[in-house]
Amino acid sequence: MSASNTGSARITRWVLFGLLVLYTIYNLGPILWLVISSLKSRADLFAMPPKLVFTPDFSGYQSVFGIGAAKDSAASIGVFRSLITSVLVSTIGTSVAVMLGTLAGYVCSRFDFRGKGDFMFFVLSTRMLPPVAVLVFYHMMFAQLGLADTRIGLILIAVFINVGLATWIMKGFFDGVPREVEQIAIVNGYSRMYAFRKLVLPMVKGGIAATAGFCFIFSWNEYAFASILTTTKAQTLPVKISTASGATGIEWTQICAAGVVLIVPVLIFFWLIRKHLLMGMTFGVLGRK
Amino acid sequence: MEQPLQKRSTGRLMIIGFLSPTILLLLFMVAYPIISLVYYSFHNFSAMRPADGMTWAGLGNYEYLLTDRGIWQRFVFTGKFVFLCVTMQMILGIFVGYQLQKTFKGRDFLFTALMLPMMLSPVVAGFLWRYMLNAEWGVVNYLLTGIGLPKVEWLSQATPALWAAAVVDTWMWTPFIALLATAAFRGIPETIYEAAEVDGASPAYVFFRVTLPMSAPVLFIALILRLIDCFKQYDLFVAFTGGGPGSSTETVSFAVAKTAFSYFYTGEASALAVILLCIIMGLAMILVRHLSKMGER
Repeated sequence: MSASNTGSARITRWVLFGLLVLYTIYNLGPILWLVISSLKSRADLFAMPPKLVFTPDFSGYQSVFGIGAAKDSAASIGVFRSLITSVLVSTIGTSVAVMLGTLAGYVCSRFDFRGKGDFMFFVLSTRMLPPVAVLVFYHMMFAQLGLADTRIGLILIAVFINVGLATWIMKGFFDGVPREVEQIAIVNGYSRMYAFRKLVLPMVKGGIAATAGFCFIFSWNEYAFASILTTTKAQTLPVKISTASGATGIEWTQICAAGVVLIVPVLIFFWLIRKHLLMGMTFGVLGRK
Repeated sequence: MEQPLQKRSTGRLMIIGFLSPTILLLLFMVAYPIISLVYYSFHNFSAMRPADGMTWAGLGNYEYLLTDRGIWQRFVFTGKFVFLCVTMQMILGIFVGYQLQKTFKGRDFLFTALMLPMMLSPVVAGFLWRYMLNAEWGVVNYLLTGIGLPKVEWLSQATPALWAAAVVDTWMWTPFIALLATAAFRGIPETIYEAAEVDGASPAYVFFRVTLPMSAPVLFIALILRLIDCFKQYDLFVAFTGGGPGSSTETVSFAVAKTAFSYFYTGEASALAVILLCIIMGLAMILVRHLSKMGER
């Protein structure tokens, strides 16, 4: 502790602290501004200088949920419908992706098989694929299969974009479980499958939650696929609000309100899994237990 | 792992049973589309006019693209954008991650709060910053003039628009690097720090000679993921600049989408998509190979 008592060390510490404060302003300022703007009326939004004290106006939120003054307007019914689509697609897509990723991650963590390295790279590469590249083809494929503009089609996409990441993160968590767990179970006459289901799976519960959190964020906020593959019936909320900016100019209040609505479930998810996030994010490459 | 012989077959069953759903899904969603994409890229074809049929174009689409100056402009813009984003995000992310790995009161709260930009939908982020950076009634210019600086026409000139886009992407994704960095830094055993302290090493020395090298593999993964995500960035630009002013903030991804879904030149779009894929997969392969070498060391 002797080093930290010298003058220069103290200055360094204050400079670092100051930089962190500056970063926090850069980081949280826009979020604060989003929340403030979501409560402003159209006139207050464009006021110069920007108003910090104003009468809150809930029309943005009303149009997202299709309630109050916006109850019967066709536009807001569409927005609420897209919110439902977002919820369905993200939850179902995340569940399936995490399930597949858990199975594949377990095998990759425990077994050595021919082509394992290639498989792991192939799986990761799906995460790196530019959406627009495959979209050129999906656009036609979905129309032929009758999947264009359907929720089923979007669920398929949600599974596909997340399964690679889920496999990698879950492999990291399984690597953290000692192999002795299965060895002891097998010595005691239990099957490998039993050991997986009853012993190993409960040990990575936190990891499954963290993986689900990440997959949820990616499918919840997914835009490129949904914007090209849906037109009216199966639009998700991010797509809906981006098309809402048309006839009467950009609906800033509605966009900000939708932004806040979109961030709440993710924030809750994040808070619940915060302890597990840090463990899973080293992808097992540090090789620690 | 030592296993009795008769258990081998269970293992094989498990490998096949656990992997096949994922492999089938990915073959259907990746391999099949990519093969088709390569096929289309050698043809003149428009998804809008399937009746016109497909005619063999050979390398025509590629030749056209590679001699088109507009495309080079997209690549140069994408390259500049990737460079700015990755540099800023890595430096900021490692800094924030290092500050957050310390244990202090309210850390969990600050940590979760700082992750907020990453949780926001990229489209909303694009619109939000477009609103804040508006030259006339945006809050950023208001603050700038407040401290005596001139107004900046953020989104109507090419260079400020590039910087603005990089600042927005950095705003969104620095938390991701910080998250991975925190995880990596906290994974370093406490005993190593204690040993360094006994030896009287300065904090800066410990950071550059112990912390950074020991967490290099994770930081490298963070770098790969951001590099590739920035390279294929599309969502942000749709909402933030719409590719403008003119076409100065169009990324390669943006150009693929425009060619395919606005002009419906499917063959040409396929060729550009194939080029984009080759670059990204090539990058990924080099980086992942480097990563596994790092792991062996």
